[in-house]
Amino acid sequence: MVAPSVPDLAPARTGRPILGAPSYNRRNPRSSWRRALRRQLLPLLFLLPSVGLISFLTLYPLGRLIATSFQNLGAFQLVQHKVVWDGLENYRTIFASGGGLGTSILQTALFVLACVSLTMAVGTGVALLLGRIGKVLRTVVTVCMLFAWAMPTSAAAIVWTWLFQQEYGVVNSMLTSLGFNFSNHNWFGSEIGAYSIIVANIVWGAVPFVSLMMYSALTLVPRDLYEAAAVDGASAAITFRKVTMPIVRPIFVLMTVLSIIWDANVFNQVWYLTQGNAQLLNVVPLGVWQYIEAFSSTQYGLGAAVAVIMILLLVAVTGYYIRLMVRTGQIRAEAKA
Amino acid sequence: MTAPINMAGSRTARYRYMTWVWRAVAIAFAVVTVFPVYWMVQSAFEPNSDITSLTPNFFPLHLTFHNFSDAVNHTAGVGTAYFLDDARNSVIVVTSATAITLVFGFLAAAAVSRFRLRGASAFLVLILVVQMVPGTALIIPVFLMLNNLHLIDNYLGLILVYAATTLPFTVWALRGFVRGVPIELEEAAMVDGATRFGAFRRILLPLVLPGVISAGVFAFITSWNDFLAADVIMQQNNHQTLPVWLYSFTTNTGTDYGGLMAGCTIMALPVVIIFLLVQRRLVSGLTAGAVKG
Repeated sequence: MVAPSVPDLAPARTGRPILGAPSYNRRNPRSSWRRALRRQLLPLLFLLPSVGLISFLTLYPLGRLIATSFQNLGAFQLVQHKVVWDGLENYRTIFASGGGLGTSILQTALFVLACVSLTMAVGTGVALLLGRIGKVLRTVVTVCMLFAWAMPTSAAAIVWTWLFQQEYGVVNSMLTSLGFNFSNHNWFGSEIGAYSIIVANIVWGAVPFVSLMMYSALTLVPRDLYEAAAVDGASAAITFRKVTMPIVRPIFVLMTVLSIIWDANVFNQVWYLTQGNAQLLNVVPLGVWQYIEAFSSTQYGLGAAVAVIMILLLVAVTGYYIRLMVRTGQIRAEAKA
Repeated sequence: MTAPINMAGSRTARYRYMTWVWRAVAIAFAVVTVFPVYWMVQSAFEPNSDITSLTPNFFPLHLTFHNFSDAVNHTAGVGTAYFLDDARNSVIVVTSATAITLVFGFLAAAAVSRFRLRGASAFLVLILVVQMVPGTALIIPVFLMLNNLHLIDNYLGLILVYAATTLPFTVWALRGFVRGVPIELEEAAMVDGATRFGAFRRILLPLVLPGVISAGVFAFITSWNDFLAADVIMQQNNHQTLPVWLYSFTTNTGTDYGGLMAGCTIMALPVVIIFLLVQRRLVSGLTAGAVKG
């Protein structure tokens, strides 16, 4: 950090007026709109690159996605630069596909619910656990979690296919030596087996982040509150509900919302764990489905319609929490000056 | 790390018994958490004869680097090894995208937390909403758009996509850090004759550097991991990135698990190194940014 220098008593040398001193060198001090513009100009310039990039690569594509979902856009139309408006045809196809949409939505919802609830439960549990063990053990657990956290999702998913490999996988051999007959068990042979591994892989990758964040939220709880609760004879469960939770709730809600968004958009884990043959699953999460429609079947319009449905569902689910965060003041422009 | 949370002070027999239970649970959790990583590395160094044995060795008996040369030289069924090309592409694209997202993100965070700016709240809501728009959903229109702009198979296209993907979180996190620095420090610098921008650069930036590092690590990892955008935007084999390279490995070699684990290890290595280097700052930094919300 650069230490502030001794106040300079000769402003003329720097050519800049001291704050609060009359400013003789402003060109037109009376023009208030120009002053207002000057005040807003710098922050607006600061915001411009971000707003520009987000508009260019998120907002505009979002509009285009919605437009594409009403078009018949395949490889042929793409090469010919043809725009064929198709009304609700894509949506009709999706809704008519033998209940495919309904089961995919239901399946995505169950999948996200399983991932998020397991992640938050285990993550919070581990955070509480970290507060109950000694410093050395806590460091060991943290380092182990850092390794899991650092693993790229693609590499991690491939490692898991090896762990659960049918003939030589270490999990089958461990389970068999523990007395369960899992030798040559094909985990990816059944949909439920494949999904269990996908969920386990996602939770394994997400728990370190959640539990480290929750742990540092827990350290914010003043210790005397726990002492007071203990004096009053509160049980561990009551203490958690009445003392811990109210203080860590904002970060808990934030982690839950982020997990919902991340898990609803999971692609890598499903794709790598099924080795690209996600179609082997009877029902795939919406995020994978729209990719298959768009790029494997080159029906961009149909894929876009699936994506629009996915976004609408996500907004419906997380909208409540976003509003909650706005109301509790987590979103607020703050300037002390 | 911060001080432990002492839940109750009573040193009863039950308390001591529970302490041992918690220790056992913590150790079991740590083992389960780190085991896949350990297994990846140990399989990567194991000769094929040991890998395809029905009783796995929990400790490597014969070390070999053979799998690594296999991985680097594997030809994805097309006759040429693309590892070096793809590794270089990954490094170029991911570091450029991270640099862009950090510069843009810092400026935006300073703008919303240091000025009375009309529309700052609207911008923050926009950031949050944008974060909800799934990248997987946007890949179709982004592909169509970059296709029109002739940015397909072009570094710039992928760099911009990654910068835009990681920007919302970066702004959100950096905003938390900027709020944590008292504005009086900058005011003091400005009284001393610094410009507003000079105060940001010389006072604010050094103080939020831990935040910049942890946000940068996040942006780096997100882009480093991405398969979807790289697969769609970079179409030629020698233009792709490491996740796509790894994927071609999986589908083309099928059973060479030793080489596959070596490939995974190579891909995970940079991230693990970065994590271990900035470990302390990462955890304390992120929470400082997020908990203060």
